[in-house]
Amino acid sequence: MGYNDSVKDSDNQSQDDARSDMSQESAISTPEQQRRIFRAFDYMLVPVASILLGGIVVFLVALTVGDWDYWQDWRDRRWWPLITPVSVIVAPAVFTYFFWKYFRLPIAATSIVLGYMIAAWVSRYANFHLFADFPMAFVSPSNFIGMAIILDSVLLLTRSFYLQGFVGAFLWGLLIYPLNWPAAAAFHTPLVWDGYIVTAADLMGFMYIRTAMPEYVRIIEESTLRTFGEAVTPLTAFFAGFVTILNFYLWVWVGSKLAVTRWATKLI
Amino acid sequence: MIKKMKIWQMPLMVVCLVGFQLYSDVVFAHGERAQQAGIRMRTMYWWDVDVSPTKVKVGELVTITGKFMPSSFWPEHLASSEVASFMNIGVPGPAFLRMHSHVNGTPMVRSTRFYRGKEYHFKVVLKARQGGEYHVHPVVSVKDAGPIIASGVWITVEGERPDDFKNEVETLMGDTIDLEHYGMQEIIWFNAFWFAVGVAWLGFWFIRKDPVLLRRYTFIAEHGEAEAGSLISVKDMVVSAAFFGLTMVAIVAGYMWANAKYPNTTPLQTGKVVTNEIPQQGDVLDVVVSNAVYHIPGRAFNFDITVTNKGDSPLRVGDFATAGVRFVNADVLTVKPIDKSDPVSPAGLIVTGPAVQPGETRTLRVSANDALWEKYRLTSLIYDPDSRFGGMLFFYDDEGNRYYSEVGGVMIPDFQNVE
Repeated sequence: MGYNDSVKDSDNQSQDDARSDMSQESAISTPEQQRRIFRAFDYMLVPVASILLGGIVVFLVALTVGDWDYWQDWRDRRWWPLITPVSVIVAPAVFTYFFWKYFRLPIAATSIVLGYMIAAWVSRYANFHLFADFPMAFVSPSNFIGMAIILDSVLLLTRSFYLQGFVGAFLWGLLIYPLNWPAAAAFHTPLVWDGYIVTAADLMGFMYIRTAMPEYVRIIEESTLRTFGEAVTPLTAFFAGFVTILNFYLWVWVGSKLAVTRWATKLI
Repeated sequence: MIKKMKIWQMPLMVVCLVGFQLYSDVVFAHGERAQQAGIRMRTMYWWDVDVSPTKVKVGELVTITGKFMPSSFWPEHLASSEVASFMNIGVPGPAFLRMHSHVNGTPMVRSTRFYRGKEYHFKVVLKARQGGEYHVHPVVSVKDAGPIIASGVWITVEGERPDDFKNEVETLMGDTIDLEHYGMQEIIWFNAFWFAVGVAWLGFWFIRKDPVLLRRYTFIAEHGEAEAGSLISVKDMVVSAAFFGLTMVAIVAGYMWANAKYPNTTPLQTGKVVTNEIPQQGDVLDVVVSNAVYHIPGRAFNFDITVTNKGDSPLRVGDFATAGVRFVNADVLTVKPIDKSDPVSPAGLIVTGPAVQPGETRTLRVSANDALWEKYRLTSLIYDPDSRFGGMLFFYDDEGNRYYSEVGGVMIPDFQNVE
């Protein structure tokens, strides 16, 4: 028996039950009314949940990623592509379990990241650009939507949290740098300023004064003896991918413990 | 507690909270008086701070010059300026563009080290970017310690930033770019594309003939997870595979496009620079401090100095600078405050004793007394866990040449005598 047959049977049976049990108690008296209410629930819940959860991710990013995502002159090759994906995947991992277990929908990552992106753009535009007066390009948020679609689509294609983590979460960590490079490359254009090589992002950080952020505060890549040639970006990307897998599994497990429907079963 | 609260108290609380917010005054300062007095006195000495001009239009330049010296009495428990420091400017946001910053002629785009007991000369050039009245401070930021702030100067910027305000610089490839708007076009297109893809993905799952969430939920609740797989159709699989593939292609294509458009890029640049050394003051005088007492009722800080003049002309004490505050001996110098907030006491230093002759060793009594002790919260030194002071004494010869000597030591509070 397929989904559509089942839904029809379920509808017929529920119609009878509804007419006998609920007609005197509930405002819902026909399947069409129920359909409209279910539809309204879709259109109401998804945007609200997206913005709400996205807003939560804004706080999560503020606490764990912070300046790496706020400023162009923090988005280096070593720390930004490592810290950011590992942190941002927490909420999608928690809620991907919930949406898959109870709805069989691969939408958690995309809806949360879309909500986050909207909230982040509003925050950066209002707080950093309009209020604090920094150029918008200097403070625009990173973009994770492509990573979210990969994470969601891998779940749908594999129907496995294990494979979603192994492939999707790995790509989530691996691809943050190339995904954002079209928006970031311009800021890595070199200039000479007062006799020193700087990138456009470095120079903006110097010129647009942030008194509370002296240059040494930036936690960005420095040369090390352990760095393999100039291959910082790919090595960081692979390492970020592996760490993201582990973090994804951890938070899916947390999601499995939190995703209980005690209240929902009483309401529906 | 909550149960006892009457319902009418709720809106009253809201009114109080809103009223409190509306009552709050505008803050102008940068917290330069907030740090502990002993720390301010024993970390950095500032002098000859000059701002020119103090009234400009948007787009015009302001030059700030001055001198500073990390104290030899720098507290051991405080992170040292000799590890990582940055020549900074205290302004409310990017109201100015920092065009150039030099210390001893070395560009200060990056961080550096400032050594205790060494004299440094700084020059910062700002370009006014937004109209307003700003209290601008030279600042040395010290890693793991915090900002050390010089006294501020008010700068008036006339006019508003026009829409076509530009901050143009030239890249190494010879292109001229405007940092006010640089990169924004790519950012808008890039984000618009990915927002559209994200909305399309959600749209695929929710723009359907039947409702989605509750229908799928009830189906799984009724049939169990074993049957849940039937909720996913072949079309879902095909579309998901298409989204996966196209997303991968879009990421790779975007990366290649960016590399083609910006073939020459470099990593973010960092690392400390070595600041040039400048000739330091010669061995002109020795000063030993004793009997340093702060008389709380009289707001007077008195101490004895035993001065040995190793030079070839008589020396007199002209002023005493500590924690950004300056006490001037009016018998030697005539100083006018730069503006209403300049922490200078033009006659706040009294020195008992004659000029110290060449080759002579003489003990003088120095008294720095003014309400500035209170105003700049330096009297709170008596509440510090380490009641020691530091400061810079400036001596002048008959020709107006200036020589400095750092002084510091234990400060004993006197709670009773005005003196």
